Amino acid sequence: MKTILNGSMSRRTLLASGIAAAGMLSMPAVLRAQDRSLKVGVYGGYFKDSFDKNIFPEFTKASGIAVESVAEPTGEAWLVQLEQAAKAGQAPADLSMMSQTSTLKGQSTELWTPLDPARIKNFDGLLPQFVNKYPDGRVAGVGAVAWYITLVSNTDVYKEAPTSWAALWDPANKDKLGLLALVSNSFLLEVTAKTFMGGTKALDTEEGILKAFEKLAEVKPNVRLWYRDEAQFEQALKSGEIPMGQYYHDVTGLAAADGHPVRSTFPQEGGILDSGNWVLSRASSKVDEAHEFIDYMSQPAIQGLMSRKVGTAPTLKRELLDLTPEEFASVSSDIDPIIPRYDLYTSKSDWLNQKWTELIVG
Amino acid sequence: MSGLSLKDVTKRFGDFAAVDTVNLDVPHGTFVCLLGPSGCGKTTLLRMIAGLEDPSEGAILLDGSDITPVPTHRRDFGMVFQSLALFPHLTVGQNIAYPLRIRDRPREEQARRVDELLRMIHLNGFADRPVAKLSGGQRQRVAIARALALSPRLFLLDEPLSALDAKLREAMQVELRQLQQRLGITTIVVTHDQREAMTMADLVVVMGEGRIRQAAPPIEIYRRPADAFVADFIGSTNLLAIAADGAGRATVLGRPVPGLAMPSGMARAVLSVRPEDVRLGAPGAGAFDGTVTFVRDLGATIETFVEAGGETIVAVAAPRDKPDVRLGQTVGVVLSPDDCVVLAK
Amino acid sequence: MRREPPRKLADYAPLAFPALMLTVFFVVPFSIMIAVSFFRRDPAGFYTPDFVVDNYARFLSLFFGGVLGFSLMLAVLVAACCVAIAFPFTFLLTRCSRRVQTVWLVCLLSVLSLSEVIIGFAWSTLLSRTAGVTNLLVAIGLMEAPQALLPGFGAVLTGMVYQALPYTVLVLYPALIRLDPTLLEAARTLGASPTRAFFNVVVPSLRNTIVATLIMVFVFALGSYLLPQILGRPQHWTLSVLITDQAIYQSNMPFAAAMAVFLVLISLALVGLMLMVGRKESAA
Repeated sequence: MKTILNGSMSRRTLLASGIAAAGMLSMPAVLRAQDRSLKVGVYGGYFKDSFDKNIFPEFTKASGIAVESVAEPTGEAWLVQLEQAAKAGQAPADLSMMSQTSTLKGQSTELWTPLDPARIKNFDGLLPQFVNKYPDGRVAGVGAVAWYITLVSNTDVYKEAPTSWAALWDPANKDKLGLLALVSNSFLLEVTAKTFMGGTKALDTEEGILKAFEKLAEVKPNVRLWYRDEAQFEQALKSGEIPMGQYYHDVTGLAAADGHPVRSTFPQEGGILDSGNWVLSRASSKVDEAHEFIDYMSQPAIQGLMSRKVGTAPTLKRELLDLTPEEFASVSSDIDPIIPRYDLYTSKSDWLNQKWTELIVG
Repeated sequence: MSGLSLKDVTKRFGDFAAVDTVNLDVPHGTFVCLLGPSGCGKTTLLRMIAGLEDPSEGAILLDGSDITPVPTHRRDFGMVFQSLALFPHLTVGQNIAYPLRIRDRPREEQARRVDELLRMIHLNGFADRPVAKLSGGQRQRVAIARALALSPRLFLLDEPLSALDAKLREAMQVELRQLQQRLGITTIVVTHDQREAMTMADLVVVMGEGRIRQAAPPIEIYRRPADAFVADFIGSTNLLAIAADGAGRATVLGRPVPGLAMPSGMARAVLSVRPEDVRLGAPGAGAFDGTVTFVRDLGATIETFVEAGGETIVAVAAPRDKPDVRLGQTVGVVLSPDDCVVLAK
Repeated sequence: MRREPPRKLADYAPLAFPALMLTVFFVVPFSIMIAVSFFRRDPAGFYTPDFVVDNYARFLSLFFGGVLGFSLMLAVLVAACCVAIAFPFTFLLTRCSRRVQTVWLVCLLSVLSLSEVIIGFAWSTLLSRTAGVTNLLVAIGLMEAPQALLPGFGAVLTGMVYQALPYTVLVLYPALIRLDPTLLEAARTLGASPTRAFFNVVVPSLRNTIVATLIMVFVFALGSYLLPQILGRPQHWTLSVLITDQAIYQSNMPFAAAMAVFLVLISLALVGLMLMVGRKESAA
């Protein structure tokens, strides 16, 4: 579900993208023909379906602005399309859901219209990691959706929940782990830095990154599966075939609620908090509508609704939310999260990818 | 006993008996032709002798020992297939040496034998050619040489010459017969061509519907066919219905044939007379009269078609007999009792 | 029927459609791929048209050499296993009754309808510790405890052979059904046991078919990128897996294209080599 933002295909997308694409071609989801409207790009599949069903109709009701949702393709293709369309003065979507890395890449060409914090009532209530800023401080994007990747384990195999990411390095866990296969979606460098090197700041230098790789190499004997396909790991985790690994917090919670012997643990170092932003194409003239939409989306009530209905972690501070402790725990945690170093995946992406591939393949 | 013996050999496919209770003795050195129309069981019989099919019943004996359970590759027979079945990936020499190679004979022996056989089939120096580069007749000879490479105990050929044109076929028939006589090898050939059988065989076995209809030397088969089926299949013949009159004489078309008697106890039978034994004379001179309906002058022979009482009788004469017949002429059909064979109906 | 050499332009008309299809579906995409492989990678957004050899330079390293070597070795092994299994199987199949043949061919065709994903997941279940075949061995007392047979090279090989086997059988089938059955009978009458006859008559007389089938399975296996991921460890990932990573996950089209071009060239060279060796042998 979430890997889509990092450019990978996922289970929910696979199932629904066909339907989404068909819908997009035949009949754009225009809710009401009105003077005021907004085209919103949402990742095709699960997210688009959930938003079409639970979020957009409520927004239209509240604001009188019709929403036309557009299914975004996977990977960075949407970024490239927006960029090329903007050069021609076109905006295939006014607002788009954009991964943090793509948001940064778009900054380099001033693709995003800066957002005005004054027009977003709850701007100050946003957690700092959900405000994406240009180097000069202008706001490029505001958190749209967020989710945690945590340490998951099979309760039949591990009676005691692991407490630290260090469990991945435990020699007792030889050949028992399932980890994400790409440097840009597993964020294991950040996990290594936070767990053993005092924080993700250690990745500021190339030496620091190489040290993290070195430490990470020690995990290799424990890894049974480097997965790209979520379903593969989820199945193996449920059956106990691969009893530990990293996985999505909310999906694991749903599986546990269904009676599967799995649990998701926020390690003491924190879960990995990945997210996507709302960004406004510079070719769009719907600046007012876009601000209204972001303002609407950033309300505590809507963040609560999304947590309950879509399973995303709230972008607002805990105290502003109306979520019960159980509801909050099902999507988030008070433990300080590990925030991925998205800047690295913009500036050093090929180098990191090469080192990473050599690490796990070699 | 010495030679090949078939004892009550039967092959059934489901309810259908392709070969039905065949008994046959083939002495050593005999050239046998299994002759019959297609579907008569001759090929199936040959395949059983080769071991490629198992008999449903009966036994196949060679020099007194039962070889029925011996698998094909231990029978040490040579066989030439209708398709020739030359191995396309091997050269002429390798094809011929195959049975020796399989038996791990020394290379020198293989080479010597290939040389010998190539000389025998007049293809000296062809050893290194691929078989695809040979003409039909050459392929034929290679297949024969390969089957003979091991000096087999029995030489089997399934319609070996059917793919050749008429002229080459006749030449090969003679060659094959001479080869067999020189080697003195027991040979069984399946053919549907009675000329081929007449040319080559010591013993012709005529088969029909899975059974042996007659097994005899060719000339006897020709002159004394055992039944109408054999008479009709071997060469061409005139088959005329005959009946006994009050005096026990045989009558054709109601007219008695001088000198021809019905076998005792038979009221009706069939008379077989070869076209070359029918002579045409003046009206009233023969057994009965007829009208000439067609004359075919083939140069070497002249065939005259005579119609009498609804039957057509063919007479064949040599040009030097200068038969003087014209279309529509009335002639007397002369039948010599010595040339007539009375067959049970 | 004699074939007249084409004289007028119109005589070439029947070629137009296949030529068009070949152009549209092969020449054009492949040319685009070659072009892209020389484009400049732009980390912030795909690529810009240019002529740089960086993408090829990056590929020419010990690391990618190793991955390429493994991919080729795996494809060769898959091809060899497939033909070794499928050839005798298809041979025996062609000796069966029409009915039996039809049933088998329908079964094989239905396996063809399975996607790589389904095959991968089916085998990962079959080879797993919790639900796999070793549980059967434990149940009948042949093993102490169930065991995971994946991830590993054996699992990758098994999955890929399984996937390519129906193709192999279907490619071999027409040649084997046309094979003159008297060739084998002739060999038997000449003293070869059925097994020996199979190996020194049937196999060599179909050598060209076997070579063509090997090449087909080789190329087929070279393109496999899901099964090595699902059934293997990272060291069993083929070049195709890394190409997919670059193209889809890293958005590095120029590098992916360069690797793909390299893979195509290497496999073309191998196929050419194989054909040349084959021709030399048949000429000798």
